[in-house]
Amino acid sequence: MANKTVSKTAGTNNRSFIDRMGGQKFIVILIVIALFILFCAMSPQFRKYTTVVSILDYSYYIALMAIGVTFPLLTAGVDLSIGTGLICYSLIGGYLIVHHDWPTGAGILVTILIGVVFGVINGCLVALMDLPAFLATLCTCMITRGLGSIVVGGYGIPWPTATQPGGWFRNIFKIQMDGMNIPIGFLWIVLLVIIMSFVLNHTKVGRYTLAIGSNKEATRLSGVNVKFYHVFAYVICGFFTGLAAIAYSAIFPTVQPGSGAGFELDAIGGAIIGGVSMTGGVGSITGTFAGVFVICLLKTGLPFIGLTANWQQIITGLVLIASVLIDILNRKKEGK
Amino acid sequence: MEAIKQNPLVKKVGFNRIVLCIVLILMYALFCALTGGNFVGSSRILSALNYAYFLGFLSLGVTFVIATGGIDFSIGPVMFCCALIAGFSLVTYGVPLPAALLISLVIGIGFGIFNGYLVAYWSVPSFITSMASMNIAKGLASVFTRTQSVNWPQANDTANGWYRYLVRYNDIPVGLIILIVVAVICAVILNKTKMGRYILCLGSNKEAVRLSGVNVKKWEMMAYILCGLLVGISAIFYVGAYTTVQPGYGDQYNNEAIAGCVMGGTSMAGGLASISGTIIGVFIISLLQEGILALGINKNYQLIITGIIVIVAVFSDVVARRRKN
Amino acid sequence: MGEVILTMKGIDKSFPGVHALDHVDLEVRKGEVHALMGENGAGKSTLMKVLTGIYKKDSGTITYEGKEVEFHNTREAQDAGVVIVHQELNMLGHLTVAQNIFIGREFKKGIRIDDKKMNEEAKKLFDRMHIDIDPKETMSRLTVGKQQMCEIAKAISHKAKVIIFDEPSAALTEAEIEELFKIIRDLREQGLGIVYISHRMDEIKVITDRVTVMRYGTYVGTLITKDSTKDDIINMMVGRVIYEDPKTQNMTPKGSPVVLKVEHLNAGKMVQDVSFELHKGEILGFSGLMGAGRTETARALFGADPMDSGDIYVNGQKVTIKSPQDAVKYGIGYLSEDRKRYGIVVQKSVAENTTMADLDAFANGPFIDKKKEKEIAEKYVESLATKTPSVDQLVVNLSGGNQQKVVIAKWLTRNCDILIFDEPTRGIDVGAKNEIYKLMNQLAAEGKAIIMISSEMTEILRMSDRIVVMCEGKKTGELDISEATQENIMNMATREIN
Repeated sequence: MANKTVSKTAGTNNRSFIDRMGGQKFIVILIVIALFILFCAMSPQFRKYTTVVSILDYSYYIALMAIGVTFPLLTAGVDLSIGTGLICYSLIGGYLIVHHDWPTGAGILVTILIGVVFGVINGCLVALMDLPAFLATLCTCMITRGLGSIVVGGYGIPWPTATQPGGWFRNIFKIQMDGMNIPIGFLWIVLLVIIMSFVLNHTKVGRYTLAIGSNKEATRLSGVNVKFYHVFAYVICGFFTGLAAIAYSAIFPTVQPGSGAGFELDAIGGAIIGGVSMTGGVGSITGTFAGVFVICLLKTGLPFIGLTANWQQIITGLVLIASVLIDILNRKKEGK
Repeated sequence: MEAIKQNPLVKKVGFNRIVLCIVLILMYALFCALTGGNFVGSSRILSALNYAYFLGFLSLGVTFVIATGGIDFSIGPVMFCCALIAGFSLVTYGVPLPAALLISLVIGIGFGIFNGYLVAYWSVPSFITSMASMNIAKGLASVFTRTQSVNWPQANDTANGWYRYLVRYNDIPVGLIILIVVAVICAVILNKTKMGRYILCLGSNKEAVRLSGVNVKKWEMMAYILCGLLVGISAIFYVGAYTTVQPGYGDQYNNEAIAGCVMGGTSMAGGLASISGTIIGVFIISLLQEGILALGINKNYQLIITGIIVIVAVFSDVVARRRKN
Repeated sequence: MGEVILTMKGIDKSFPGVHALDHVDLEVRKGEVHALMGENGAGKSTLMKVLTGIYKKDSGTITYEGKEVEFHNTREAQDAGVVIVHQELNMLGHLTVAQNIFIGREFKKGIRIDDKKMNEEAKKLFDRMHIDIDPKETMSRLTVGKQQMCEIAKAISHKAKVIIFDEPSAALTEAEIEELFKIIRDLREQGLGIVYISHRMDEIKVITDRVTVMRYGTYVGTLITKDSTKDDIINMMVGRVIYEDPKTQNMTPKGSPVVLKVEHLNAGKMVQDVSFELHKGEILGFSGLMGAGRTETARALFGADPMDSGDIYVNGQKVTIKSPQDAVKYGIGYLSEDRKRYGIVVQKSVAENTTMADLDAFANGPFIDKKKEKEIAEKYVESLATKTPSVDQLVVNLSGGNQQKVVIAKWLTRNCDILIFDEPTRGIDVGAKNEIYKLMNQLAAEGKAIIMISSEMTEILRMSDRIVVMCEGKKTGELDISEATQENIMNMATREIN
């Protein structure tokens, strides 16, 4: 609401116990642990190694999308095209591998490249053409969905299995050892979290992403090429959606055209639960990463306690609203 | 060009709407030519109209929300949610048909209240409530129907088939009549009532309206509730035309409904809306859908074309506003 | 005081309809604090905007460090060493102090931003200023005063030679002002030239070396601070202008009842314990300098912003006003200074705006009676002499004065008996101004009670029956028009508060 009095953030130096930056992350980790214990207590089936592996399986692509979408969110924008985008990039890359005998490496490269291209498109629509972010990316959401289906002609794409030639990429995320699945993908994700935390906190790209979300005009007046960095946030998002497409293709046997809608809620929900503010400028990659596990636990855990996976959609929706409300209430309190 | 725009008759009807009508006619001619006359038949038209009915109600609903400066892209999935839960109650639980139709409306209104309350009273960004509602609607419908598609009764079902007459009765396009009537009612609400006045004005300058002593929160929420009601109606017309609904879908209609709306001259910035424009926009989208079908083109092109239409329409609105300032 | 570092000579600048600067001069020396004073709208800010390249001057010369210069934007000015510390802070709340200071010119080590070095450099700056701020602290967590210190540090880090402070003390506490002065004295010691814009007379006496006074866009003169008195400065500020027909006596009918009584109103920092009464048929002027809390008082009273405490009586009845809805219910109407944002819906028609506050009266059930609406709109177009081709015209196409009339019509339609005019003639040309004045007098004569907030002394003296003067959120005086002079009003408006 436009208020005449110039917003003077009356700063207070006494930090609350649950401080926003470190605090929310802390709470989210507690929630993850609590959820895990809850599911373990309620279902003996849940207390198995395979469950942990399956939670991690889900976490890869959601985490990658969430890391990516954190950047547009930090600029006070959003990218709704990541869900259908993921499927589209994976379909096109897989199509080239399966139907045109491209080497897997080339297919992977194309997948990521298309992600980047759509990142550029989204960035231009939002930063250069001034379209509302949710609307522009809602359109690219539909466009990627159509495009993926058109390229593959409506049929699912089975990326090569681990035992087939060219199936090596599946071992990036999971290797078999003595009949046991070792989820090494987790290591890569952690590594990427560390790298992107560095990018966000210690490079110009990250600094200006936060600055744009904090006060775009002041950033521009400081002589920063705001347009470039604004577009770049979406490019990062596109790149990570490309990576997420690879993770998705590696974990699941086939990729179905027309699917993918709703993935974006998991990713954006994860980011917001992890402390990314809807109004931009505040958030962290580690927080997002922690938030993603809340989603993944719900996704895998609910069926164990007798609720279908559909409940996860409902609960995620409600959790998203709850986290945004907490963010709004926090800001109201700070504004006073 | 300017001279045409300044013509009093053109001004009265609206330049934008005249252009849209010409586009509509040209599209029709184009499809007729491309399909070798196969498009002329009434079956194609009726089929396009079937699409226009439910899309029309969706688009009318979202017009009110966009007029307040907000957005609702949960309408497609919510429409499916209404159709699924109402249909499942009807088919599996044996709820009487009128009650089932009422359930559809109530669910639509319920989502409208949910979105509207959060947006108006809590200042939650409308795209967040849309995103949440979209998934809640999908989840709810799937849970309720146990992830099975629902087949509403056929027309020959003597007891419960009559709802299909709402769409068509012996080749009379009843749906068209109802759509036009509802559109007229919407136009009256938007242009002749307090509610419409407040919705348009708060979309244009919410603070000035608040400082005039108007309860802006209430009226903003009303726009979402009205949208919800129209979504509930659209669900009835969807099943009236197609009978089968599958859980987990409905997203693509969001974009088509928004496309109809922004093409018709409703501004994403709020404050400016045209019901007649929305209806013509909906006809264009429906005809496009039917044409693509008739030409045997992959229906996924529809998604891409609609996406581009929205981008172009909204961008031209952005440019127009930029030029004004 | 050292050699001259900056000279502005014969600066002239016009905006459509306004001659904002008329051959203004200013000279700043190294190692001096130079006050720039004048009433609201005297052209101080415009002059500084011309200096820092935000506005392009029409004529005149700027000489900086012996060379004639013209900056095209703030960045060029910054690079040359002329930096402005704004009243409204341009900060990035979520970033740290050091990150704010060095935004856009970060130190780098490879691709990595060298935050450590930035923190060290920031620390050095703060040490130089003898203040204690943690460079790693998040900006929004600092007090407004500390945030301002950071802005100053940023200015210094630009290797500034001339720093302009635009009302730096407006939002600061006493202790923070002390600290600010220490820094300014330090900067003076280091040989910087400082321009200090302020309304606070006491500060001017304490901190500045010379004072340049402006009035109505013209240069009045420059004084040595320690050789002049407060009265000297005030006299220069108000000048010897003949005010057009000032009111000489209170026109309110004797014994006319109190329609609005406000007691001990508090709302945030800008409204502290304000009490006053308003009579039927009276025009009560609210005078004071920018930031005195007059608009804030009006907004709190109107329910537009929340009030902390206080009692409001309308026609002797105690009322609770929590929102504009309540205020309107009790017959209070508010005409904002910023009409485009708070007064009218510009994309809608004259008729639609006229009935905005009272649509219920024009509705049969849910339907709007457009005929009736049109009639009332036409009635007011006629009686207020609003210049518009028709009542269907969009308000955006009207001039400022006519837009104001539409807002007046809006509240008259609602039958509001208490009208708050906030800067009623801002942005309105001279001819239309007189019409608005005539209207206000007419309304008062018809028994409406009017609160008029104005920063123009002419307006206050010409229109008011009584005058309330505010300064820094407090009421500092109340005068009957018969005893009011520009000098004693200005005195109250600049009263030192301790």
